Amino acid sequence: MTSEATAHSHETEHHAPPAQVDADIIAHELIATTTNASKRFKTIAWVLGIFGIIGIIALVLKFLDQGSDSTKWGYVAALVSFLLSITGGAPMVAMAPVMAKANWVRPVTRIASIFSFAGVVTIGMLIPLVAMLPPLVTEGARRRTIWMEAPDYSPHIWSTLGLVLLFITGIMLFYSAAIPDFAAMRNHSTGWRQRLGKRLARGWVGTDSQWRTLRMRIGMFGTFYFLILVFVNFLITSDFGQSMVPGWRDAIYPMYHTVSSFQAGVAGIVIALWAARRQMNLQKYVHMDAFWSLGRLLFALTLLWVYFFYSSFIVFWYGRSANDIATLNLLVKGPMIYAFIAGMVLIWFVPWWILIWNKVRRGVNGMTIGAVIILIGLLLDRIRTFVPAWSVPPERIHEKWLTVIPETVYPSLLDVLIMIGGISLAAVIVMLMTRVVPVLSVWQVQEFNLLAKPIRYVRGHATLVAKPD
Amino acid sequence: MQQRRELDQSYTNRKLLNGQLDTPKWWAPTVTGLGILVVIGLIVIATMINKGLGVTGLGRPVFWGLFITTFVFWVGISHAGIMISAILRLTQAEWRRPVTRAAELLTVFSLLTALVFPLIHAGRPWRIAYWITPYDISRGIYPNIRSPLIMDPVAISTYLTGSTLFLYIALLPDLGNLRDRTTGWQNAMYTVLSLGWRGNPRQWKMQTVGGILLSALMLPIFVSVHSIVSWDFAIAPAVEGWHSTIFAPYFVIGAVHSGVSAVVTMMALMRWLWKWDDFIRPEHFDALARLLIVVATGWLAFTFLELIFAVYGQDAPELALREMQMFQWPWNLLFIIFLLTGYFIPVPMWLFKRVRTNIALMFWTSILVNVGMWLERFLIIVPGLARRTPFVYTWEAYRPSAVEWTIFIWSFCWVTFLMLLFSRFFPLVPLFEQKESQVFTEDVTIGRAKVPAIVREAD
Amino acid sequence: MSTQSILGLFQQPELAADAMDGLKEAGFELGTFDVLTGTPYPEGAFGEYVPQHRLFRFPAFGAIIGLTLSIFLTAVTQLAYPMVTGGKPILSIFAMLIIMYEMTMLSGVIATVIGIVFESRLPNMKPGVYDTRITEGWIGVVVTFDDDSKVAEAQNVLNKAGALEIKTA
Repeated sequence: MTSEATAHSHETEHHAPPAQVDADIIAHELIATTTNASKRFKTIAWVLGIFGIIGIIALVLKFLDQGSDSTKWGYVAALVSFLLSITGGAPMVAMAPVMAKANWVRPVTRIASIFSFAGVVTIGMLIPLVAMLPPLVTEGARRRTIWMEAPDYSPHIWSTLGLVLLFITGIMLFYSAAIPDFAAMRNHSTGWRQRLGKRLARGWVGTDSQWRTLRMRIGMFGTFYFLILVFVNFLITSDFGQSMVPGWRDAIYPMYHTVSSFQAGVAGIVIALWAARRQMNLQKYVHMDAFWSLGRLLFALTLLWVYFFYSSFIVFWYGRSANDIATLNLLVKGPMIYAFIAGMVLIWFVPWWILIWNKVRRGVNGMTIGAVIILIGLLLDRIRTFVPAWSVPPERIHEKWLTVIPETVYPSLLDVLIMIGGISLAAVIVMLMTRVVPVLSVWQVQEFNLLAKPIRYVRGHATLVAKPD
Repeated sequence: MQQRRELDQSYTNRKLLNGQLDTPKWWAPTVTGLGILVVIGLIVIATMINKGLGVTGLGRPVFWGLFITTFVFWVGISHAGIMISAILRLTQAEWRRPVTRAAELLTVFSLLTALVFPLIHAGRPWRIAYWITPYDISRGIYPNIRSPLIMDPVAISTYLTGSTLFLYIALLPDLGNLRDRTTGWQNAMYTVLSLGWRGNPRQWKMQTVGGILLSALMLPIFVSVHSIVSWDFAIAPAVEGWHSTIFAPYFVIGAVHSGVSAVVTMMALMRWLWKWDDFIRPEHFDALARLLIVVATGWLAFTFLELIFAVYGQDAPELALREMQMFQWPWNLLFIIFLLTGYFIPVPMWLFKRVRTNIALMFWTSILVNVGMWLERFLIIVPGLARRTPFVYTWEAYRPSAVEWTIFIWSFCWVTFLMLLFSRFFPLVPLFEQKESQVFTEDVTIGRAKVPAIVREAD
Repeated sequence: MSTQSILGLFQQPELAADAMDGLKEAGFELGTFDVLTGTPYPEGAFGEYVPQHRLFRFPAFGAIIGLTLSIFLTAVTQLAYPMVTGGKPILSIFAMLIIMYEMTMLSGVIATVIGIVFESRLPNMKPGVYDTRITEGWIGVVVTFDDDSKVAEAQNVLNKAGALEIKTA
């Protein structure tokens, strides 16, 4: 009977209920985070900003230099897909409370929906790709796309519009959930933030009907966002990936991409949350509960990634027809084998071993390391599919299947700069947005505190979580 | 949201154990009637094994027909159990409580039924032993594990074993309860089955932790089972419409759609037959229907992807197949019924709360879904085989024979029969879950409002 | 002297918790008294001794056995009867993986179930003093002794806490 000691330490460690904080202190402290940027924060933002500018210059240079050779643009396509995954996937978490009524997610929603703003980088990177995208009909033959009988401009215009629509819906989702916070800024902030709050709060005083409209709006934009996200993933993956390779017919690929975009989104949120908690001393508001729940989600999505991958792979592997073999050789077995193995290890194997241990999953740092590893792996995985897809020469694109596996394209210096720049730019946009609005939603943190109360249950400690309609 | 009701524990016992302690009057005649039908079905099966598969409508080129469709259908239904009880347990959804046992039970019995179909479909069932069990050491002939027809029995027996054990473990506290309420031989039986359950904190903790752990283990198995069933079809490049990478998740989500609908059907029946109005309440149907809307819409998206990437390749045979499947008589009729019953009638109805909380409507819409989902499997399996291709000289359409239809109907009687038989000895609603929800829910007052709240152990 | 136990029955959780507190104060060792309920209560609700368990080892152990067995089964049977089908290699790792996965999971589940039964300290066919009203919502506080000297003291504590009934066995 060794266990009394363990039982007690168990209590102090895990049963410690989240501290109750008064609503006005929450508002004050969270709004203060918009102004009190530390020196380190500023330095990081500057460095990332400079990387971003270098990336943009590199993109322009690349377009001037290689604007006529689409086979060299795979890395930019991989970057677009990667950024779409993170910036598109993260806000999905923002709508979870509405859908599942989960309490833990309330403090996380703001940081998730801020990611939408970084979607502007995705759109920027897509512009040269749209210009490079081969036409639907070459030499009188029509290549296989989802645009079977559609006009020639279809993939270009609809994919771009889809991405823009996703961006707008994401911002609307952000804004509809942020109105009460703008009102709080109007009341508690100073200077331009106060003026901005006044303008964007649109007369919010928090009447019953205003709250009802707010919830309805979040629900509506959330649902729209989800539907558009799935659809945009479908468009981007088939127009800028699958249809670039003759004979690659993989019905699961859009879903594979969507699922891993949720994975990237959650990983992105974990990292952002870790940074916010550290840098802005928000331990009081970012509870361990959020990390544990995100950890479970990340674990589930990691397994789902393997499942989707294997479901697709096994069908090609067993099929053994000429185009099955060519597709596998191009994407998995051939020159991309190292990217594939590294991706597999980093997306699934390592995080799986990290996240399966309750102890690690319940520590903030372990989770963050897991998230970073997953993001690196996902970038490699995007490279694995998009770079070979773009490396197929346009004159072969309408063949029945790939008869010659094209040479692997290695990243040039410009590609590396573009990738670093694009990711930095997205990160700096998220960082700058935390200067505009509080990084945690004031009203949702208040609601979280209102609905979850630490209680004594007879002699034990527990949390009482209210579940309103 | 849930209306909190105070339900006394002895009242809960009395009501929920009425199947065992106070068997309803309809039980014996119903079980007898079903038993007779089951025996008739078994005689037909025996006849078919005796005469050979010639008594079915199967033949070149359609070798997989009603039996395999019904096999996939029952495997699909079996996905209700783990979906409901594992996912909802892991997400701590409060409304799962009255649903879990019935769902797990449905898993076990529908899997047992599903297994029968490939077995009798083999024509000479006893030979199955050679094909799937690696026992022939003396001659050194072993099963070909590269064939999905081997992976299938492995996966299904894993799932069956796992869910039976899961069911049993979750039954332990209720067996202890039954032991306390019975005398004589029944008491002896429950004493042995409950293994000496007492209800101390250690045992309860194992119920909770073990339940979550088993859920986490069963979930990947559940996903793998229908995936492997789908690979029976998907890995074969020879049949148009089958060789699609999306089949695995498409089958899984379809299975969840049909399985959860079957649970709704069953819950409605349970509420009516055993008069459990206090326990199976409209809000449970409401929650299940909300879940179904999401699942069904996801399933529709997969259906869309399956179709679009089928025609994506613009290969002539594939296009011809789709043309036949969707536009040619009689497949077009089946296709329209499938879409209407599988999605376009029930889901728009479920959007209204008045439908979601109306038990009769939920009962009928959930049956509609399963009509649609059965047709879905039929439309996947048969047209691909039945399409006229140059090398096939018999171009006769497949028409299921009376023997096949009888066995098809038999499977439904058989599952219902097993369920009712089970209900005589074991409770269909987990009593301890029900009581736990009484302990773990409380009302909190926020301002003037009374809000239902749940006690969460800080873990 | 044989082991003996007494059981105090309560209707309110608070009173049962009082009895547990009383037993602790009276110097009864942790693990010699326990609470019996008909439904799970939040952990620590009675200030009871929180049992430690090793359940998580069972699935890991089971999975390792299953994996080993399945590698053996899939590899050795294929090598023993090497027939090429569909141009696939004899040792087709991607087909083997599926069987390996299923067998690993199966033995993981079986081991977990064994673990749950074992860690619940079941089967226990001589459970000692018990009352059927526990499954009707009553709460039992059970104390076990190695010697008789403390029986009276325990009875006293249970009575003071307001036990409705005390049973001995």
